[in-house]
Amino acid sequence: MSLSQELLRAEATRRILLSRPDLAARIDPSTTRGLLAAQHLVDADEPGEVLAAVVMRRFDPVSWVRGTCEFALGLTPEQAATWRRSFTRTVFLAGNPENLRERFSFDHVAEDGSAAWTSPAPAAASAPLRRLLKLFDGTQAVPTHPAPVVEVPGRPTRAPVRRDLYLATAGVTVAESLVSLNHLLVESVMDGLLAPGDRLVLRPVPRPAGIATPFAALRIGAERANPDQLRCFAYLTEGIDHDQA
Amino acid sequence: MSTVHLDRLQAQTAPTRDRPRVLLAPITITPTKPLTLSHLKGLLWTDVMYRATAQLADVTYRYSHTTYNVTEQTLGFWEHLDRTLGDVDYSGWTEEQIGECYIRYRADEHRPPPSAFQPYADAVEQHGWTHPATSRVLELWTSLYDRLGLHDPGLREHQPPGLGLAEMIDRLDGLGMCLDLREHGGPVYLDATRFGLPLRQIVLPGGRPNYLACALRELIPLAAEHDEVVLIYDRELEPDYLLLQRVLSALGPAVRRVSLGRVPVAGQVLSARHGGWQGNTVGDLLDRLTGGDTDDPAALRLGLRLYFIAVLGQGQSQSFRDDLVVSCLAKARKLLATTPERPDASVSKHRRDHVYVDPYRLTSALLARHQPKPGPELISAVFT
Repeated sequence: MSLSQELLRAEATRRILLSRPDLAARIDPSTTRGLLAAQHLVDADEPGEVLAAVVMRRFDPVSWVRGTCEFALGLTPEQAATWRRSFTRTVFLAGNPENLRERFSFDHVAEDGSAAWTSPAPAAASAPLRRLLKLFDGTQAVPTHPAPVVEVPGRPTRAPVRRDLYLATAGVTVAESLVSLNHLLVESVMDGLLAPGDRLVLRPVPRPAGIATPFAALRIGAERANPDQLRCFAYLTEGIDHDQA
Repeated sequence: MSTVHLDRLQAQTAPTRDRPRVLLAPITITPTKPLTLSHLKGLLWTDVMYRATAQLADVTYRYSHTTYNVTEQTLGFWEHLDRTLGDVDYSGWTEEQIGECYIRYRADEHRPPPSAFQPYADAVEQHGWTHPATSRVLELWTSLYDRLGLHDPGLREHQPPGLGLAEMIDRLDGLGMCLDLREHGGPVYLDATRFGLPLRQIVLPGGRPNYLACALRELIPLAAEHDEVVLIYDRELEPDYLLLQRVLSALGPAVRRVSLGRVPVAGQVLSARHGGWQGNTVGDLLDRLTGGDTDDPAALRLGLRLYFIAVLGQGQSQSFRDDLVVSCLAKARKLLATTPERPDASVSKHRRDHVYVDPYRLTSALLARHQPKPGPELISAVFT
C-alpha cells in the first residue's frame, strides 16, 4: 500500500496519543514539526521518565529480534506502561555482556550472549553502565541478505501468525535501524500484535513503500534531508496466511 | 609466571640465560618537533633505568618509530608538508623549523579524506618509509643523544611491530578483550570492562589505528618473551596505560607502570603541538651549558641526570631552573673528581619488589651525604 504524508502523520499522531494521552492538548498534529516536537516535550531526566539499556557485542538480526521480543514479553504490565509513557526510550551501548555480568545484573540476555537488556528505569540506574561503555555506533546499513525468519520465543497463547517486517536501509545506519526496530517490536508486543510462536520475516529494503500487504504497525520519523517530511523506517505487515506464504 | 624472586637476581655472574628478561617500553616521542625539557626528562629516566637494570638482567629497550609512524598524527603531518610545501630539501632544516610546520599542521582546519593518508601508511607498513622531514629530525636527535650520552635504541632503524593490525585484533579477541564493530562500519574497542575500565577505541571507524593499537601490535608479541615489562609514559596517559597493563599482564609477565610528570617552564606545562618550546628545547639548554672551553662531557651527562632525575623527581611540581642545573653540573664535576674509598658497586638495592632499578633511588643516592657512593666504573656504566 502507498504511504502518503497524511497517512504517516495520522499514524505518528496515533502512536503519540497511545503513549501519552496527556499530550493531546500540547501537540499540533497538522504539521510534521509539531508532531516531532511532542517527543521532545518528554525529557529523559524528568521524574517518572525511564529508559531501557541494551548492551550489544554485535548486531545479529535473528538473535537480537528474538531477544528484544522476549525481553518485552518478560516485562510486568506496570513496567511496560511506564516505559510506554517514556516512548519506550532505549539506549544502545557497545559492550560484551560476558565481560559485564560480574559487575552488572541484566534482566535478559540473548541466547548467544551477543546482547543483554536492563529493564526500563530512571536514567540514573543505567548511568554506571553508560559511563563504562560507548553508544553502539556503525555507519553501515544492516545487511540486506538473506531474509531471516525469526520465531518469537515462548509458549503460544494464541494461534501463531506470520508477518513480514520491512526495514528501511537507504540512508539509514545500523544504529538508526536498531532504534526503529526496537520501538516497533516492543510496542507491537505491548499491543499484542506480536506474541510467542509468531514468525517474522525480516526484509531489509531501501524504502518500505508499495508493499502489497497492509501494515499492522509503522515506525515513523523525519526525513534527514527534509525535516518537514515524514518517512517510514519500519513496516510490520498484518498477518499473512500460512498457505499463501 | 608473574614473579621473579630477587635472590635469583643477585647472581650477576650467573650465565646469561639465568638472568631475568626485562622489557623497557617507554612511550615514543613523535619525530615532528624539537625535543623539549619534558622529553629530556623521560629520555634520561629511561636511559638510567636501562643501563642500571642491564647490570643484573637481560634488558630489551624497545623504542621504534616505525611502529608509531602509521598513526594519523604523523601521517597527517607528512601529508600536510607535502601538500603545502611540496618537494623541499630538508637536509639543512633545524628541529625548530620543522616544529613550526607541525604547529601550523595542528592549527590547519583542512581535513583531507582518509584516502590521502593511504600512500604514506602503505609505505610505512610495507618498507618502513620515513618522510624526509622526520628523517631530518631523527638525524638531529641522534646527534643530541650522542652529546647527552644516551643509548640509541634504534632511532633511525626500521623496527616493524611483531603483529599486523588484524593479527593483533585476533590476539586481543582471544584474550576476551576486544569489541570489534567493523562489520557495522564501527570502531574497534579495547574491552577491559571486566576490570571496571571503560571501553577504549583503538581503531577508528574507517580502519585507522591510534597509538594504543600500535603499542599493542608491538608489545603483545614481546611481552610473552619477558619476565617483567616496564611501561614508561606521560602521566596524562595513565588511563591508556592501565589498559595496556591489563592486556600485557594476561600474557604472563609482571607489568610495571612508571608515569612521569612533565617539566613546567615558569609554572606552565606546554604541549609541543602548540609550540611554547621556543628557547627551551634540549638543543637550547645544551648550548647554554656548554659554551666556553671548559666543556666536560661526563660532567654534563651526570649533571643533567642528577637534575632531571634526582632533583625534579617523578612528579611535575617544580618548574625548570637553570641555576639548579648549573649547580648539579658542579656537583657532578666533584663526584667525578673523587674516588670513594669503598665504592658501592651494587644497583640491586634500588628496587622494591620489581626487577628494574629505580632511577630516582639510584640517582638520589649520589646526592645523599652519608651513603656509600658508586665507584667510577658504575658511574661510567650508568650515568655518563
